[in-house]
Amino acid sequence: MTRVGIVGLGTMGRTHAEAYQQMPDVEITAVFDRNPVRTEPFASDFQTFGATTLGELLNRCEIVDICVPTYRHAEFAIPAVEAGKAVVCEKPLGRTMEQCEQILEAVSKHNALFMPAHVLRFFPEFKRAHELVQGGAVGNVAAVRTRRGGDFPRASSDWYADFSKSGGVALDLIIHDFDWIRWTFGPIERVYAKSLTFQNLEHLDYTLVTMRATSGAVIHVEGTWCDPGGFRVTFEICGDAGMLEYDSRQMVALRMAKRAEGAQGGGVEVPDNPALQDPYYLELRHFVDCYQQGIQPMISAQDGYEAARIALAAIESAQTGKVISLS
Amino acid sequence: MAIKIGIMSFAHLHADSYAHCFKNNPRAELVGIADHDAQRARAKAQQFGTQAFESYDALLNAPVDAVVICSENIRHAPLALQAAMAGKHILCEKPLMTTLEDGLSMMQTCQKANVQLFTAFPCRFSPAMRNLKAMVEAGEIGDLLAIRGTNRGSNPHGWFIDPELSGGGAMIDHTVHVTDLMRWLLKQEVTEIYAETNNRMFHGNYDDTAMLTMTFQDGVFATLDSSWSRPKTFPTWGDVTLGVFGTKGVIEMDMFAQYMVHYNDKAGRISQAFWGDNIDAGLTEAFLDAIETGSAPDLATGYDGYKAAEVALAAYESVRQGAPVTISHG
Repeated sequence: MTRVGIVGLGTMGRTHAEAYQQMPDVEITAVFDRNPVRTEPFASDFQTFGATTLGELLNRCEIVDICVPTYRHAEFAIPAVEAGKAVVCEKPLGRTMEQCEQILEAVSKHNALFMPAHVLRFFPEFKRAHELVQGGAVGNVAAVRTRRGGDFPRASSDWYADFSKSGGVALDLIIHDFDWIRWTFGPIERVYAKSLTFQNLEHLDYTLVTMRATSGAVIHVEGTWCDPGGFRVTFEICGDAGMLEYDSRQMVALRMAKRAEGAQGGGVEVPDNPALQDPYYLELRHFVDCYQQGIQPMISAQDGYEAARIALAAIESAQTGKVISLS
Repeated sequence: MAIKIGIMSFAHLHADSYAHCFKNNPRAELVGIADHDAQRARAKAQQFGTQAFESYDALLNAPVDAVVICSENIRHAPLALQAAMAGKHILCEKPLMTTLEDGLSMMQTCQKANVQLFTAFPCRFSPAMRNLKAMVEAGEIGDLLAIRGTNRGSNPHGWFIDPELSGGGAMIDHTVHVTDLMRWLLKQEVTEIYAETNNRMFHGNYDDTAMLTMTFQDGVFATLDSSWSRPKTFPTWGDVTLGVFGTKGVIEMDMFAQYMVHYNDKAGRISQAFWGDNIDAGLTEAFLDAIETGSAPDLATGYDGYKAAEVALAAYESVRQGAPVTISHG
């Protein structure tokens, strides 16, 4: 049995716990949250030990899964790495480059098994697109567009709305795309961005980023927390031999529409793209497999660092109006 | 009395559509065609049941009230000057010009000659665009904050990919339509522009991929993808889309998403069978209004064409500098 401890018991903590529950060779041996009120019900739901300190958790597991808000990743990931644990850490790696560097240093110093949880690489549509591009399906890539977002996310203590904690759409949301873009199209040379993040609009955030890859490909990334139309992801990859196009709103395998109760009419539609295994399961299974086999995961701490660097460059560009060079 | 129209050059494929619109409009009479390419003039004259003139001067000496210029981009200015001095009103294909000097001299010459100069921006006559503008003006989505636009196409080849004739590549070809829509919607000018381009679609000596970022006077920012990035197998020529983001909501427009999908075994391809309104009909109708009454409020003027092309030219300057560039408005 591989023993896993989860730190941070919000939405992501629960998503990860549900994935581990499906693995017969994995046991959640401890959970911890800075807010003790959350620990007891979570521990009870997953029939595990509710630790009152991080140390208590570290003593009971081999793998530590960090699901706290971004600005606290370093605070919990570094002690876990120093305690010799294998660590999977939610994205983004850190809120600042300093935090990311500290994590990178600790991982390197302790030669730790570490993976930033860039789950997009395990989403079947993004994985398939990556494979197709690598296989030359569209030839040399010229232009890429991605789009991600919906309405403003609501979470405990509204931490997404606090730029100093979340980093806004650029760091929290479209970092998914930044990592997938690096993975698929190679390193990024420079970044230019415009954003609503600094206009002090309550629960509205929107960012448009234009990047140039070292290959010469031009990439446009859109992130929105201002679209009441619902969550939507699209991508388009144009090359000299073809194009790949995906829109989560168009390509839906299953839709349920329910009539509203009462005489008012109307209703709500729930789209769904069911799969045998969800991307969070696949991501965490990959990490558990790597731990069990003693091999490095497909996403390195350095990858997490580079994705955060792009996101923070986009923020810097939006703040200064300058083109930010990453080369 | 029908308004007498002449067409100067069929180099741009839009000339066919305009000729068709005038032929089908009882208010207009297509008097004739002149072209650098005399053979093309004859072929088009035959196709549209009109007369081929042996020179532009011959066309301008005929009883013509107004002309449409559909030449290669670099010839817009000399042809417009020639038409203006002959006292003809002008509807000029976009981009209005390939240098600021050309644009200024076109506007000045038309003003002096007391003829009207318009730019062919038919997207203003799209019912979807008109409704979008009305929704914004009614305050449906609050104050505008940001816009995401696209005007992608397939590579038109021919003179379009010869910068000596076109003044550039995809960026000069496809920036101006949506820039004009943004200016029309916001009633603001672009103050800063940044652009990234490459030639990775077709590997020629012209840009085929272009992403622009614009900032408007009141701080609204926008991006525009004006690439020729539609592959050969794409089911239609391209797109015009706008995502408009406001304090109270969002409007998404896909201007030409009024089609059915045609799986055509005879042609061996999939295409879009468009059933929406013909926006060129609205454009040409407005041009006839302008000639008849001196007023067509939604028709883009020479100045509108100049301001949109100015953005495209500044975008090329941004690419040369590798940095955002500013545009000042006197």
